[in-house]
Amino acid sequence: MNYFARTSLGPAGVAILLGLFLLVFLVVPVAKVIFVAFQDPNTGALTLVNFADFFNTSLFRESFFNSLYVALMSVVVGSVIAMPLAYFTTRFNFNGAVLIQTLGVIPLIMPPFVGAVAMQLLFGANGSINLLLDEWFGINIPFMEGLNGVILVESIHYFPFILINLSAALNNIDRSMEESAQNLGANGFRLFRRIVFPLAMPGYVAGASLVFLKVFDDLGTPLLLNVNNMLAPQAYLRISSIGISDPMGYVISVILVLFSLFALWTSFLAMRGKEYATVQKGGGGLMKRDLRTWEKVGAYAVVIFTLLIVLSPHIGLTLLSFGTIWSFSVLPDGFTLANYQEVIGTTSDYITNTMLYAGLAALIDVVFGTAIAYLVWRTKLVGRKWLDYLATGALAIPGVVLGIGYLRTFYEVEVPFIGQPLASWWVIIVVALAVRRLPYALRACVAALQQVAVALEEAAENLGATKYRTVKRVVVPLMSGGIIAGFVTSFATAAVELSATIMLVSAESDAPLSYGIYVFMQSAAGRGPGAALGMIAVIIVGVATYLSHRVIERGKREQALDAALAGGV
Amino acid sequence: MKGPVSVKIEDVHVAFGHTRVLTGVNLDIEPGEFFAFLGPSGSGKSTLLRAIAGFGPMPGGRILIDGQNVTGLPPWKRNVGMVFQSYALWPHMTVRKNVAFGLEERRVDGKELRRRVDAALDLVGLAEFADRRPAQLSGGQQQRVALARTVVVEPRVLLLDEPLSNLDANLRVQMRRDILDLQRKLSLTTIFVTHDQEEANTMSDRMAVLNDGVIQQVGAPVTLYDRPSNLFVADFLGTANVLKGHFTSDDGGSRFMDETGIEITLDKKVEHEHGAVVLRPQNLTIQSPGAAHATRIIPLSGTVQYVEFLGSIVRYAVQVEPHVILIDESHRQGDRVFQKGESVEVGVDTNYLTTLAQ
Amino acid sequence: MTKNTRNFRVAGVLILAASLLTGAPLVRALEDKLVVVTSFPKDLTGAFKAAFEKKHPGVEVEMLKKKTTAGVKYLQETASNNTSDMFWASAPDAFEVLKSDGLLQKYIVKATGIPDMIGAYPINDPDGYYKGFAGAGYGIMWNERYIKAKKLPAPKEWLDLAKPVYHGHVGMSAPSRSGTTHLTVETLLQGEGWDKGWAIWKEIAGNFNTVTERSFGVPDGVNSGQFGLGVVIDFFGLSSQASGFPVQFIYPTVTTLVPANIGIVAKAPHPEAAGAFIEFLMSQQGQELLLDPKIRRLPVRPDMYSKAPGDFPNPFKDKSIGAAVKFDVVKSKNRYNLVNSLFDVMITYRLNDLRAATKAIHDAEAALSGKSNAQAQKLIAEAKALVAAVPIDEAKGLDKDFAGIFKKKRKKATDKVTGRQAEVEAEWDNIIKANYTKAKALAEQAKSML
Repeated sequence: MNYFARTSLGPAGVAILLGLFLLVFLVVPVAKVIFVAFQDPNTGALTLVNFADFFNTSLFRESFFNSLYVALMSVVVGSVIAMPLAYFTTRFNFNGAVLIQTLGVIPLIMPPFVGAVAMQLLFGANGSINLLLDEWFGINIPFMEGLNGVILVESIHYFPFILINLSAALNNIDRSMEESAQNLGANGFRLFRRIVFPLAMPGYVAGASLVFLKVFDDLGTPLLLNVNNMLAPQAYLRISSIGISDPMGYVISVILVLFSLFALWTSFLAMRGKEYATVQKGGGGLMKRDLRTWEKVGAYAVVIFTLLIVLSPHIGLTLLSFGTIWSFSVLPDGFTLANYQEVIGTTSDYITNTMLYAGLAALIDVVFGTAIAYLVWRTKLVGRKWLDYLATGALAIPGVVLGIGYLRTFYEVEVPFIGQPLASWWVIIVVALAVRRLPYALRACVAALQQVAVALEEAAENLGATKYRTVKRVVVPLMSGGIIAGFVTSFATAAVELSATIMLVSAESDAPLSYGIYVFMQSAAGRGPGAALGMIAVIIVGVATYLSHRVIERGKREQALDAALAGGV
Repeated sequence: MKGPVSVKIEDVHVAFGHTRVLTGVNLDIEPGEFFAFLGPSGSGKSTLLRAIAGFGPMPGGRILIDGQNVTGLPPWKRNVGMVFQSYALWPHMTVRKNVAFGLEERRVDGKELRRRVDAALDLVGLAEFADRRPAQLSGGQQQRVALARTVVVEPRVLLLDEPLSNLDANLRVQMRRDILDLQRKLSLTTIFVTHDQEEANTMSDRMAVLNDGVIQQVGAPVTLYDRPSNLFVADFLGTANVLKGHFTSDDGGSRFMDETGIEITLDKKVEHEHGAVVLRPQNLTIQSPGAAHATRIIPLSGTVQYVEFLGSIVRYAVQVEPHVILIDESHRQGDRVFQKGESVEVGVDTNYLTTLAQ
Repeated sequence: MTKNTRNFRVAGVLILAASLLTGAPLVRALEDKLVVVTSFPKDLTGAFKAAFEKKHPGVEVEMLKKKTTAGVKYLQETASNNTSDMFWASAPDAFEVLKSDGLLQKYIVKATGIPDMIGAYPINDPDGYYKGFAGAGYGIMWNERYIKAKKLPAPKEWLDLAKPVYHGHVGMSAPSRSGTTHLTVETLLQGEGWDKGWAIWKEIAGNFNTVTERSFGVPDGVNSGQFGLGVVIDFFGLSSQASGFPVQFIYPTVTTLVPANIGIVAKAPHPEAAGAFIEFLMSQQGQELLLDPKIRRLPVRPDMYSKAPGDFPNPFKDKSIGAAVKFDVVKSKNRYNLVNSLFDVMITYRLNDLRAATKAIHDAEAALSGKSNAQAQKLIAEAKALVAAVPIDEAKGLDKDFAGIFKKKRKKATDKVTGRQAEVEAEWDNIIKANYTKAKALAEQAKSML
């Protein structure tokens, strides 16, 4: 009995609390929204006729294939961008590897609206690049035309997921795995293709499936680029059209959710049994190689070119924020500080709110992520996998659906002492952000936990530490790198979230930066100030990201040096 | 196939950043030799091995294989076979794929590839495991796969990094012989790294003892054991009683005087003034106080601290002045075993001791 | 300063003094807060918020920015525990939806001097649930640099936009996304008739570069030069110009003027302040703010136009603006969702097919010009007819039962509607797609003969 009490009741209690949280703030609100999909629009009876309609409509079939195509192509383009960055910075002594890795994450923190606007100004049919190409060569490349534009913007926006996961996987490959291949005559691309990439596959698939999912579900980009014939915009347009309560929007939401879950499940299956424990004893940590001069030149050229492309939305945003009028020209007509002056007075509330919301949400995420990771991978609780599935399933829920679900579920719930509906209390924004970003933190925590040997825990318990104290004193400190990585990803992406936020902001004083940007970007005169506000958001989140990277890297370097000196090298 | 080749290391230096790991290493390894790098952890032995394979930071000095300077060559152009301590078998490939890898890199294909892979697997006795994944093999089998994968490409030199450290004791003895057999069969110049003197002694033709990134001594195992050139080597290769003191010489020979007053007369002349006398336990004798002994035996009085009866030998620890001196006495049926606390005389045979400069 | 505002000022000072002296609650005091859900840009809301707060110290105005559609959704979802006081947006249809859901409350405007009609459209809701406070008319805006670089002529009329020269250069928002766009579409359908109206829209749409999701997407696209010309509401064009963008705006002869509206939300927590805000909006002081170059909306008070800059259009004088069509509000309301759905099915979601067919027709016509080939001419005419074809006729569009499929706000469980929107749309989509494909083939066939 005593044994049971000590080892299972605590975790079970935590599991039940987490399960309840997910049930109340994820399952119920989403169920409330998508229930409509199963209702006969005429009689209100339960039916699947709406799904039959979906598959009978060629527009929806076409949208489905477009979404699939865009998601797959974004994975391909994102991989092409991420691979050299990940490989060069993890395998070679590369000046500013930390900087490159940070810059590589910056695209994730592109605030909504401004990114697509900036991309149009640079790559659009009449954007800077095409104006120049037209002037010099008389050609026009349709970067932003239809689905191309969506693929370009999405892959630039989401490739960091591949970069982060691939870098982590590359860092985890035992040095001798590559060295033995080099020793047997492999090098360069063959080495990468035959040894490095297959070993990094689990990390790559994790990142790629995340990109696939995000792109498949993403609403903002196609809408901003006015691409309608994809699933997510179809769902949104139908849900949010005035006065039309057509169930098709909800049907599409259900299909989005189901397909996303299916994709998640497939990637689970594909990777099962392939989580190689590649860090072996005695192999030593990663050893970076020096590059020869010509290799360095080549590598830097590739990296700089890639960075130029992935940072182009930010380059455009910078120009926009300092520009006066930018219309059908390569560069703005003039430069000014007026845009910043205009927003400077209004930003402090937005910034405080953003930091508060994103910080709290990310904190909740890493605490819950660590707890769920531990429960799922280190205990034998019945149904523990469902916690993982549920939390990860949040990935598959479009923000709009969650936002509407919250309004529907929590508007009638009064918060005690505040005397306000829960749905309009600012805390609900934090909860929404936390739920939406939980999968990111969870994956980072799971990856970190898998690298902590069970023996280390057993040693602590053997010395008399309780489960709780073991987790606190041994597991969490050893996971700290992954936890910080999870915090950063959650924080950075939560800081620029809009789709759920916009449904839930009920007072301007509660609004975060992304909402402020949205407000500015709705008028001709607000484009510059909106861009300035976007720049401020990028800089704040970027600095926070860079600092936490530094913390992680310092920890890693110390460990690597210890290992190198102790390992007899 | 060409015969075995030589490896020459000339004034090699290696540093990780500001940490110097190897200093002024010079070595000549003969063709076909089985050569060991022996040293404690952190001595630089693995770094030296890796430098030969082309891994790690670019070393100063020169490394020549078969007379060819390979110092600046990348690992994949050296044709030097290395077996890693962790074996580094690729988990995503079968045993066959692992073994075939190097040949594929050398553009060997079709029947030839199959034949050579099969031959290599036969050589290590793993033909029937060809389609398994490394994770499904035992440690010893993994070791064999790693060996097969390396020798199948017919490297010029075979490098083994702590080849036996991940195996259990029984397997280790077996594997030692197997590796030796393999080496003789292929007549490959082989260098292996170990921290275990027994491994080095049993397997190598010659070895180099390293400490703090510097080669201490090079030679055959017996030479190094019997004629260590410094205290480190003496101590690292087996148990040694070390007495420090100074030597005074006259025409006939020398006299060693320890700080505590122990005196040993030597019949050969010692050049240096300060130094040490190294006494191997099996070269010492133990007897009751006052018992008769040969003239070249110098008796030192002491008290037995503890006794370990090991069957074929008895190990005594005897307190002589402030020193504790270890003595291994071979045990024959019926021999008397001294007890703890007994007063005894330790006999130092001046023919069987080593003198070292400080 | 007008008499009206002076009285307010005096009253304000007196009340302030009284409260300072006695510390007692004010007589008929406004609440200390006012929450306005609005789709208007910051330039507009900011100006009114500042002016209103100045006039009524102690009232804090909270402007909650939501896109019109999201705002309606927000009010619907939060109705059970409402915290918003007012809804303030352009599209009259958004107010119609709220009104029919019982989410607005009546208010009688005290201010006088506001006529009943602006252009052909009644300013206020006849039932008194929402009020027009400004007029806006649709027109065409274009980017000067763009049309210069692409050597395009400046357009004057809607039909100009259907000319081959503009192929791929025009942008517009979907009527289902923007209530004002809907009115433009409906105006043309009423002015030209159902079939001809749709034919014109499709000829124009064949030249579309894009159909934007937000109504602001059109001026944004023209401003940045993403596309050259856009069908926009006047203040977008005029305020873009005022912000310094190299753009022009004109009203075509056939257009409509629609009021932008404000209404008080049912069960508003701060009804007094809400009433005061409406009065302020209708007052001369409030109306004058509309003339600000960053706002540029047409006041509903005819007396304000004397203060407007010289080039400011005056719908109460210039009868060419918005007077050409007699707008039938009931007709519009009955087929509201149906028209939106038709537009989306025929244009928004099939834009690529429509564009391809239109291009083929343009090419064939260009090849034909100056030659005579009866058969090719016939084929082209056939192709054009196919593109223009609408799956349902006007009578069917006005059929209550049929239009009801697109409304579907079942009030009672006994309300029966047969047919589902998705079913009908799928059927239309099949027809439309086949038509466009065939039209393209015919036009290509015609061209190959020339």
